[in-house]
Amino acid sequence: MTVTATTTVDRTAPSATVGAWRAFNLQLALYRHVWHGTAFTSMLLPILYMVSVGIGVGSYIDPASLGGLEYAAFIAPGLICSVAVMMLGNDMVFPVFGGYQDWGGAYLAQRATPLRPLDILNGHLAYAVLFRPLTNCTIVVIVLAFFGVYSSAWAALAIVAAVLTSAALAPWLHFWASSIKNDANLNMIFRFAVMPISLFSGVFFPADQMPGFLQPLVWISPLWHGTELARAATADVAPALPPLAHIAYLVLLAVAGWFAARRVIQRRLNF
Amino acid sequence: MPHDNEMLVRASDLRKSYGEHEAVRGVDFEILRGEAFGFLGANGAGKSTTMRMIGCVSQPTEGTLEVFGRDPRTEGAAIRARLGVVPQDNTLDGMLTVFENLVVYAGYFGIRKREARAKAAELLDFVQLTARAKDQVNELSGGMQRRLAIARSLINDPDLVILDEPTTGLDPQARHLVWERLFQLKHRGVSILLTTHYMDEAEQLCDRLVVMDEGRVIAAGSPRELIDTHVTKEVVELRFGTAHTAELAELALTLKGVGAQIEPLPDKILVYTDDADDTAAALEAREIRPTSTLARRASLEDVFLRLTGRALVEDEA
Repeated sequence: MTVTATTTVDRTAPSATVGAWRAFNLQLALYRHVWHGTAFTSMLLPILYMVSVGIGVGSYIDPASLGGLEYAAFIAPGLICSVAVMMLGNDMVFPVFGGYQDWGGAYLAQRATPLRPLDILNGHLAYAVLFRPLTNCTIVVIVLAFFGVYSSAWAALAIVAAVLTSAALAPWLHFWASSIKNDANLNMIFRFAVMPISLFSGVFFPADQMPGFLQPLVWISPLWHGTELARAATADVAPALPPLAHIAYLVLLAVAGWFAARRVIQRRLNF
Repeated sequence: MPHDNEMLVRASDLRKSYGEHEAVRGVDFEILRGEAFGFLGANGAGKSTTMRMIGCVSQPTEGTLEVFGRDPRTEGAAIRARLGVVPQDNTLDGMLTVFENLVVYAGYFGIRKREARAKAAELLDFVQLTARAKDQVNELSGGMQRRLAIARSLINDPDLVILDEPTTGLDPQARHLVWERLFQLKHRGVSILLTTHYMDEAEQLCDRLVVMDEGRVIAAGSPRELIDTHVTKEVVELRFGTAHTAELAELALTLKGVGAQIEPLPDKILVYTDDADDTAAALEAREIRPTSTLARRASLEDVFLRLTGRALVEDEA
């Protein structure tokens, strides 16, 4: 029975793609409230890094030690992927944890509609893995271009590397934030995942300079694989492994994480 | 009252367990189109769990449940497309504006943007929040948020609106505003299912209800039927100064015969009677003089008390 005029409502179960798209639209609506700030940060951050680290620290570094690359050109691709990881820290931790809570409960609200837990997961991941890198990392790539740090015509492919890095990490962060019950534990993800990944992934210095016993940390870091791919795109240097090996690892991590996240969101949203 | 006999929900021997704990222990009920149906019970009675199963976010452990003639186990999304849900905690998005909350929610049902905007404007008018459309939800009072949650639940023209404790936590004025809007919905023929532990809410809003206790349905019928069946027409409340539980239990023994039944509570004694004047006269004849006497009509609270031996709401505001 209607209160007012009849509305055209889909009374059927949506397909997986349609369900995810509908869930994604919530993130888009929220993004409209903050896009100015995030776009500004995406412009300012590479400028600050380039001026302080790229040019400042770079003036002390002999390009010969970096295979002939200027230091600014060396860190630029890692910076693009790092921004993707930093954004995940915003998009995949507190909003996911809050999604299940009485005081926010975006997931609980969506669950009362035709959306299924999987739609809710896929919609949120689509935002974090595709939309955010494709918008904000693109801004970073454009800003960095003004510093003349690209020596390859394929530099824009660094955005794809950022997307792959996000894809490998986002479902695991979702899994983590969905699994914990106490918000006091949320910061652990920054201390024990986001920060070490950012520091030990060959962004600011060649990863092979790390002590041998820390090398495994580098190899498992999705940011290292993403940075290697991005550097191949922006500076046309051969990555540590064949490109397909880097891509395969990131895809494998993404798929495994998606299954883990799916398992926990289905448990949390079926009462 | 129901327009016809179309059955919206049918439950038979419905059960839900969490490990060893059986939250719902075999309940039977039917909800008809156009009806305002209520689950009345104390906290932990199993009413919210039953609602979650009807809302297709919780799978029954055993028994039969049909919503719109469909099986929630396999057709949950299609059923939810025809439901409107007002959760106890509202689950509104505090970062979005009042208007955006409705439009975004409409999108979950596949309602196109233009239609969603028109519908949102109409619903805000219905819940008297048009002036707050551009405000963020966090700026609204609790009562306004609840009215917004009610508006949101109507965005898809639902066949059944589910309200979980619609006025819990609201001040009396806000409660009456919510009730008034729900009356309007009833008047327009919207089918309503609500849980409540406020007997006045159940009495005012529900055409029919079931009383739940410890996961079971212990009584069913219209509020009037339940009162007529389980309690007398009137109740006399007697208070004796500072006398408390044990003293009142002892005093209750001296009241035998002044009414149909005597019920000592921690702070007062209830005398169930068909004529309060007769009871007053009987008390006077025995020279029993309480410090205060209140005669009133019997309510669902009394029904609950008679059936379970416990008050429905210990800390009623």
